[in-house]
Amino acid sequence: MSERTIVITGTGAVCAAGRDPAAILDAVRSGRSAIAPIQQWDTSRWPTRMAGEIADFNARQMVDDRKVHKLIRRTDLLGLYAADRAVDASGFAAQRASLDAPAAAEYSDRTGVYVGSGGGNYESQYDYFPLLTAAEEQLPAFGRELSSTVNPMWLLRTLPNNVLGHIGIRHGFKGANACITNHSIGGALAVIEAMEALRTGEADRVLAVGHDAPIEPQMVLYYHDVGLLAKDAIRPFDARRDGSLFGEGAAALALETEVSAQQRGATILGEVLGGGSANDARGLLAIRDDGDALSRAIEAALDDAGLRAADVGMIATHGNGTPQSDASEAAAIRRVFGSSAPPATAFKWAFGHLIAAAGIIEAVLALASLRAQIVPGVATYAVADPDCAGVPVSVDAQSPRSAVALILCRGFAGTNAALLLRAKV
Amino acid sequence: MAIRRRVAITGLGLVTPVGNNVQATWDALLAGHSGGAAISLFDASGFPVRIAAEVKGFDAAAVLDDRKLLKFANRSHCFALAAAEQAFADAGIRPTATTAERWGCTVGTGMMGVDFSELVAVHGHSAANGTLDAAQLLSDASANNPLVFCRSQSTSGLSLLARRHDIRGYASSVHTACASGGQAIGTALKLIRRGAVDCALAGGFDSMISPVGIAGFCLLSALSPDNETPERASRPFDLTRNGFLLGEGAGFLVLEEWESARRRGAHIYAELAGDGNSLSSYRITDSPPDGDGPIQSMRQALANAGATLDEVDYVNAHGTSTFMNDRSESAALRAVFGAGVKNVSVSSTKSSMGHLIAAAGAVEVAVCALAIRHEVLPVNANLRQPDPDCDLALVRDAPERRRVRVALSNSFGFGGSNSCVALRSPAAVDGAGFQA
Repeated sequence: MSERTIVITGTGAVCAAGRDPAAILDAVRSGRSAIAPIQQWDTSRWPTRMAGEIADFNARQMVDDRKVHKLIRRTDLLGLYAADRAVDASGFAAQRASLDAPAAAEYSDRTGVYVGSGGGNYESQYDYFPLLTAAEEQLPAFGRELSSTVNPMWLLRTLPNNVLGHIGIRHGFKGANACITNHSIGGALAVIEAMEALRTGEADRVLAVGHDAPIEPQMVLYYHDVGLLAKDAIRPFDARRDGSLFGEGAAALALETEVSAQQRGATILGEVLGGGSANDARGLLAIRDDGDALSRAIEAALDDAGLRAADVGMIATHGNGTPQSDASEAAAIRRVFGSSAPPATAFKWAFGHLIAAAGIIEAVLALASLRAQIVPGVATYAVADPDCAGVPVSVDAQSPRSAVALILCRGFAGTNAALLLRAKV
Repeated sequence: MAIRRRVAITGLGLVTPVGNNVQATWDALLAGHSGGAAISLFDASGFPVRIAAEVKGFDAAAVLDDRKLLKFANRSHCFALAAAEQAFADAGIRPTATTAERWGCTVGTGMMGVDFSELVAVHGHSAANGTLDAAQLLSDASANNPLVFCRSQSTSGLSLLARRHDIRGYASSVHTACASGGQAIGTALKLIRRGAVDCALAGGFDSMISPVGIAGFCLLSALSPDNETPERASRPFDLTRNGFLLGEGAGFLVLEEWESARRRGAHIYAELAGDGNSLSSYRITDSPPDGDGPIQSMRQALANAGATLDEVDYVNAHGTSTFMNDRSESAALRAVFGAGVKNVSVSSTKSSMGHLIAAAGAVEVAVCALAIRHEVLPVNANLRQPDPDCDLALVRDAPERRRVRVALSNSFGFGGSNSCVALRSPAAVDGAGFQA
């Protein structure tokens, strides 16, 4: 039992494949992909039509607070939903409720929140389109008619840090915090920074959250134009792979020290062992073929956790299905693991690329997989690609070599992150 | 317990509404010059607020010899690139082939979005009747322009800085609204302390002086409507204050692990000594009247720095010049310092520069470093009728000569995130018998 051991005592997740980690993992294991034609707008003439949208999206049902809906957008709702589930599972609120007022206030001050947020979208600015029409695109009229045409809450609804602020208000958490808007590795960095807040004693318990809702016309078009999107499916490490596809969703982890969890008798799901991050420094979209920064992120995570490569029992790859990312990811894995990498899987094929939430939802699912003692198969995988040699990915489920998972995560601007978790089986 | 690594501030770079480099900005802050003026970047004649603190006479191409890189940069990215260039030159150190992997980069970035001209272009082509026709987007030049895409992502600025300076370690963008810059610097402090990197470029950049940016704040009635007196519009802690003055710009710091900075003979401005972060968890825009939230961030920053209350000589206040913020921040300062608050000099340099939003915290940490270096505190400009609810030792009328042992920089954001960064004089670190 250690103050330095950081344990997981609650999780939450939502995406097209389900609304809790168990349901999502079941969908993955059944080989069903939740990626389908986009419903939010008519894509019949679009070159790319597929994404992992959450069907039957009922905002009121997901977050039962009428006031908050006027102040947030779809991505925020997903983040609040996943955060609520992790808080419920952790029992933090119940524990605080058992304390007297000064101790409860101290409890709130010592509870941190770390969020990885997509940072915004293009549609938010479309709220100004009716005004631009009314003003015939003339600025003096735009200024004059502003307050009669645009929702006064526009800026607040658009804040990239809405989930952080509203988690604070909903749950009364007031401790150390950050909102990380670092594209696809934001959620993974939220876990790393949350772990560090516990290690350094800045907080006694922390919620780590990632959320994103990138499925919107202008975003889809840009990603298509720069060659990142697949025609119909994500096929990680497969010779036929032709790109990635968006998903939407969120995930959350409740973390605390092992001492804290044991003292209150909380159920421990696993441990966060370490993390690392590194940059390729080649620009927004460029990736080095040798996977240099990703391999350095993995080495940093192993070093941080005090583990050797051979200790890793499974790899949850980034596996986004783009030709270059998967090949360079394989290069990084070969650099660290040589020809003896543990069983590997990928999750994006089943519900899309959740961008800022990708790393954290995949961490939640890796934990659930290890607890079930399986490495789920990748249903879209069929044809091995020599460029992706050394990544033991399979259409069939495999067995993990140990209870330790390495989760890999990569984003725009050359960012890479690696996380190490151990499941309590 | 292992000895914690110290962090040195060894380089500064600033592009602000009162100066396009550190010296010009510092001179203006001491003189209490205002960067406020009528908006020139667009026709604001119809807006309820027609004033802002714009960066003036800035030519990115003149300070950055990379035209290809600048094609991918929007206005705020240009400020960031220029300020980072200054900070590296000032520090006399930059990433090399052998050190690049040990350098980190943390930035507080503004809200994601396209430039207003691009929004108008998409409106004209794909949303002329007021709502988006997604089918039209397929043939929309702006919505198919990869440059527009690359300039509008949340990590666009980070990618340009990392590429320009070959920064290969931990690199991250953060956004907690007006607390972003402080949070970015606090993140870099943690990275160096825990050994994830040895050096870092840390800062913030923003530019919201656009029709959509001004509109967003106008709709919330957050801006001072004093269109006739822009140079007086930002008057933190004054009884007649009525909103903030929107600014723009960038501030960057070069940070190094202390011992290695000493070994190479670096000129150290200050120790980046601690940071504190809290959530007010009160309301999204309002500050709690009793200072709850900022109280905890300040206490944490002091504890994190290992500093005592009586060592604090200067607080660079968040001091936005809104009614609520300045009252709440004053209450927080009184709660933290108690009777000793009368001995702590306070000024808000937003009185001169306006509010630089995501860049504010970073620029103001740099101001604290300059106050420590020069042993003089910048003035809280425009203070004529002090608000009795803001009963602080404000630096009035003229800059104050004072040796600073510990300085605090406050930044509080919409959403309730509070950041406090603590800096310590190098003389106080080295134990050179420093007496106040």
